[in-house]
Amino acid sequence: MIRVAFDIGGTFTDFVLHNDGNGEGASRTHVLKIPSTPDDPGVAVMAGLQQLLARAGIGGDAIDGVLHATTVATNAVLERKGAATGLITTKGFRDVLIIGRQKRYETYDLYMAKPEPLVPRRHIVEVTERMDHDGAVVTPLDVGSIDQAIDTLRAAGAETIAVSLLHAYANPAHEQAIRARIKARFPALPVSLSSEISPKFREYERTNTAVANAYVKPIVERYMDRLEGALKQRGFTRTLMVMQSSGGLVTPAIAKNFPIRIIESGPAAGVLMGGIVGTAEGWEHVITFDMGGTTAKLGAVDGGSPAIMPTFEIGHVRYKKGSGLPINVPAVELLEIGAGGGSIARADRGMIAVGPESAGAEPGPVCYDQGGEHPTITDANLILGYIDPDWFNGGAMTLNREAAARAIMEHIGEPLGLGLGEAAWGIHLVATMNMENALRVVSVERGRDPRRHAMVAFGGAGPLHAARLARAIGIPRVIVPQGAGVGSAIGLLQAAPRIDVSITRVMLLDDNVGGAIAEIYGELETRARAELDQMATGSAPLWSRQGYMRYAGQGFEVQVEMPNGPIGANFGAAAKAAFNQAYLQKHKFLDPEARIEAVDWSLAATLPQAQGDADMRLPQTAGRAPHGRAVWFPEMGGYTDTRIIERQILGEGETIHGPAIVEDPDSTAVILPGDVGRLSGNGHLIIDIAEETAP
Amino acid sequence: MSEQTSKRAVDPISLTVIWNTLMSIAEELGTTLRSTAFSEGVREGDDFSTALFDRTGRLIAQGNFSPGHLGSMPACVRHVMAQFPADTLRPGDSILLNDSFMCSGHFPDCFQVMPVFEAGRLIGYVACSAHQVDMGGAAPGSQKVHGVTEAFQEGLRILPVRFVRGGDIDEDILRLVLGNVRVPDKVRGDLLAQHTANLSAASRLQQLFREHGLETLDRAYEIILDRSEIAMREALAAVPAGTYSFEDCMDDYGPDTGAIRIAVDITFDGHGAVELDFSRSSDAVPAAINSYINYTTAYAIFAIKVFCDAHQPQTAGNMRPITVTAREGSFFNPKFPAPSGGRAVLQVRIFDAINGAMAQALPQRTMGAFSHWSNPNIGGVDDRTGQPFVMYDLSLAGYGGRQGADGVEALSPVMNCSNIPVEVHETHNPIRVHCLELIPDTGGAGQWRGGCGLRKDIELLNSTAVLSHLGDRHRFQPYGLFGGGPGALGESLLNPDGNAQPLHSKGMYDIQKGDVLSFRLSGAGGYGAVENRDPAAIQADLADGYITEEGARRDYAWRPEPG
Repeated sequence: MIRVAFDIGGTFTDFVLHNDGNGEGASRTHVLKIPSTPDDPGVAVMAGLQQLLARAGIGGDAIDGVLHATTVATNAVLERKGAATGLITTKGFRDVLIIGRQKRYETYDLYMAKPEPLVPRRHIVEVTERMDHDGAVVTPLDVGSIDQAIDTLRAAGAETIAVSLLHAYANPAHEQAIRARIKARFPALPVSLSSEISPKFREYERTNTAVANAYVKPIVERYMDRLEGALKQRGFTRTLMVMQSSGGLVTPAIAKNFPIRIIESGPAAGVLMGGIVGTAEGWEHVITFDMGGTTAKLGAVDGGSPAIMPTFEIGHVRYKKGSGLPINVPAVELLEIGAGGGSIARADRGMIAVGPESAGAEPGPVCYDQGGEHPTITDANLILGYIDPDWFNGGAMTLNREAAARAIMEHIGEPLGLGLGEAAWGIHLVATMNMENALRVVSVERGRDPRRHAMVAFGGAGPLHAARLARAIGIPRVIVPQGAGVGSAIGLLQAAPRIDVSITRVMLLDDNVGGAIAEIYGELETRARAELDQMATGSAPLWSRQGYMRYAGQGFEVQVEMPNGPIGANFGAAAKAAFNQAYLQKHKFLDPEARIEAVDWSLAATLPQAQGDADMRLPQTAGRAPHGRAVWFPEMGGYTDTRIIERQILGEGETIHGPAIVEDPDSTAVILPGDVGRLSGNGHLIIDIAEETAP
Repeated sequence: MSEQTSKRAVDPISLTVIWNTLMSIAEELGTTLRSTAFSEGVREGDDFSTALFDRTGRLIAQGNFSPGHLGSMPACVRHVMAQFPADTLRPGDSILLNDSFMCSGHFPDCFQVMPVFEAGRLIGYVACSAHQVDMGGAAPGSQKVHGVTEAFQEGLRILPVRFVRGGDIDEDILRLVLGNVRVPDKVRGDLLAQHTANLSAASRLQQLFREHGLETLDRAYEIILDRSEIAMREALAAVPAGTYSFEDCMDDYGPDTGAIRIAVDITFDGHGAVELDFSRSSDAVPAAINSYINYTTAYAIFAIKVFCDAHQPQTAGNMRPITVTAREGSFFNPKFPAPSGGRAVLQVRIFDAINGAMAQALPQRTMGAFSHWSNPNIGGVDDRTGQPFVMYDLSLAGYGGRQGADGVEALSPVMNCSNIPVEVHETHNPIRVHCLELIPDTGGAGQWRGGCGLRKDIELLNSTAVLSHLGDRHRFQPYGLFGGGPGALGESLLNPDGNAQPLHSKGMYDIQKGDVLSFRLSGAGGYGAVENRDPAAIQADLADGYITEEGARRDYAWRPEPG
């Protein structure tokens, strides 16, 4: 079986081609990293695929599966470059999106701005209709008001429409009628219904989710169509599969319909990979640390499974909760901050500030010599000796050290009175501190004891910063997986198709609720099957059920793993028991007198897939002999002659004492003084982190 | 100096770890409280606070929650310590109180203060407050303003009592409390949630002490307090020395009552200290809207922090250079048993008054007055269940214009609350919301426009209920600054589409099934002269409907492009 995966990031597009040898030959894995082409991401994809096929000596028709992760939807939202979107809502509720939840993410900052809604107020129109919370019609839908709404939005140039009516999660009839009317008049106009995208109560969050879906839909559609066309042209006959935020794959058709589900596509694949690598190395609790060109992302694997949240935010400000736009679809738990290799450093009020502004792929860091003028983290790492100017990306690119030095001195060193090495170290340190704050939230604040976790570090810059980050927070081991620079792409190869559906049905868990729960899951299964049928993989789905429950009267729910199997009359009792277990674990407290209320219900269907052999070991190739170079370690007093070893020539079990640098073609791992690295039997670099000693 | 030497003995990394951990414990205490609480105000409105104190009762860290509770906490802990000296407390004890004078100025805010012990020694206190949905008294929600003339009519007053003894909740006290409130299930749930949250924070604090040791933490505490004090003093010293004064008026304190004067005199000494004096304000009033000194102090400190030192974490240290005074017996420093249930309506006005004075000292930092907000409670017995219900609501509108930007639309002013989703309200209460929308032409005109007012219409679906209204700015408009116009007045109406009757902003009304209550918040004040407004901004406001053509003609002398 031969499969190829590619992950388009803001700066680079990563590729992995895996041939398991079909049980005959040895398995072969090829990896490749080339600069992204943001204006037309498909250009880089096609160029990379061609290189990879040539390297493997095969044609597109030999490929059994094409797997893809993309930031196309994310970037459209972050950069507010989505399609002109119109929103149709219930009369009287035009301002739900503008009002939001109204809480300041900084109590003492009265000067902050709210996140800019994806739809300006002028493109929000009302229709006459009203449902109540039970789904009963209070005011029938006025067809005349629909036509008026459509006309207004068309005149305003809306290319895509979101419909979000009050209580549509309880009864979608009015939203569906509006779509039917729009389709009758403008068949090509994309329509996103809140009752399909995210049928959950709390109108702001649901509306925003539907609007975000509408906002990226034309862009994702165009993108997928072009990509599929180009693949076909190159002889790829197998279906493309796309990664969702939940860590499962879907077909392009589903991704085009629900593009909001692929917002965290690449990062989800990365966390998946982190879990698999961690498990292989005997760590079921893992923090994943993925640092690329634009951002750093932290995720978690609990007990071997990626942590999934029913909701997430996009476009945080200073990674403050509540500062972004809420998206109500399941996603791997991720904390993202603006600290990537391309993040720009500047002198600010006598201090160094790094990010979130990024030089991205174009122009990129100063040392890329592509017109970048502002020093970045990558420029600093080059000056510090962490990166080899002549061996960046396996020698595919030569970095301009002098230009990086000039920029750092001009923008940091001279304004702050620092020498080159100190200025570069300052940039590196501030970037690490920014990431450490985020890491603290993911680990300690969310009840994860760093001492019980391994950190799986990947992305082009992850392994370079990982050891210092792990040391700062007390994580005892860093694992740098093989192909760390293309980690998300490797994760894609191990993903399975998956459909998540959910709905709000507020219900007290009394004795006789078995029938009602069976009905809810019946409805969810019907919805899931409709999508599974589109994927036509032939394998039988594995189902898993979650309930989101609380004590009656509370406002926030705990995620409860519900029993599998048939739902009989006494299912209510089983659900209660499951709630008690989850509640106790989370809050260390039970209230036997309180009644239990279920709010949201969700169902996940995973299609297990033949993935061929999981041996992802990269071929050993001839590497350069170990050599030395001056690398900055503050604990050694600055520049220190340091051993540089290519991972290619590392033997299994061979130990490396820090300070040392282990170079891969696509990433560089730094081993700090006092730490010890070695290569595991799976080909991963294991770094044991020494406990931090007081200076 | 030996003291300095010992202070230096905490290395920067440990200090960073300790300070970050303390703040994260306080933050996590709140996260736990929010996710386990029952009352809508707590869980959706974040109407609660959390803090950590050292063993002498100094505030060391706080969560990013309601400033009114936060600023009152140091005084509250002082009162607890006076009632329960350290040697009378045992591991597993926790103290409950809600007294208006000792705590944050009204009974619904229940505080729980838990001493924390490690290795047999008291190492500090963890504390949290939560706005309970009801504490009994004259009206559902315990915030009735008009007709309440002394605190004893406002519900159950709890002086510090040992609510938890050696780890066991005192069921007798709990029964006594629950016997006096309208929704005992919710109050019980929230009191337990507060206790649970304190427990989790206490265990993290113990862990921190185990890891670093008592001595290191003592030293770290001193550094934290000193650094926050120095940061505040530096910020205050940067404000031009002088006395800055401002006066404004509250509408009244109930139907057929007079205005309340709010006056503040702020003196910066130029060397890092500031005094805020509210003595020239009116006397305390015979209605439940007086601002106890803890509450006045809390919001005065909040305002100073906003203008001078917004991003420093709050500790006892940065409160040291700030002195807040008010004549005893005045509206801002009443004597017990002055009633105060509805004092929440004041927080915006305390800030507005300080903002008005600060406009003379820091024109670039100040803004037009806020839209006011409203906090109506609708309560009764739910026809469907036979159980009492209280719909606690928060309506929040815009900010004033400020240098360089229009006022933000619909953002929580001063106190930091989320609204309660319409779908949540309708699921739990027998009401229907007819609209929730910005009101065009209500934002104060100016170079930088004030935010719009907000309209929320609520229909009662139950046979009967009582409205306990709490709002303001129905008589005195939110002011503009530097030539900016004032925001439009707010108003409240019963049955706006039929035979509309005005509702008083602090009135109580019996309402019937089918009645529609229309709450219309005032607009926020503008900043800078109208003539300087960018014509493109006027055009954009027209397109988005923040102003109408009629309003544009009236307020901005706008004329449509010919042809």
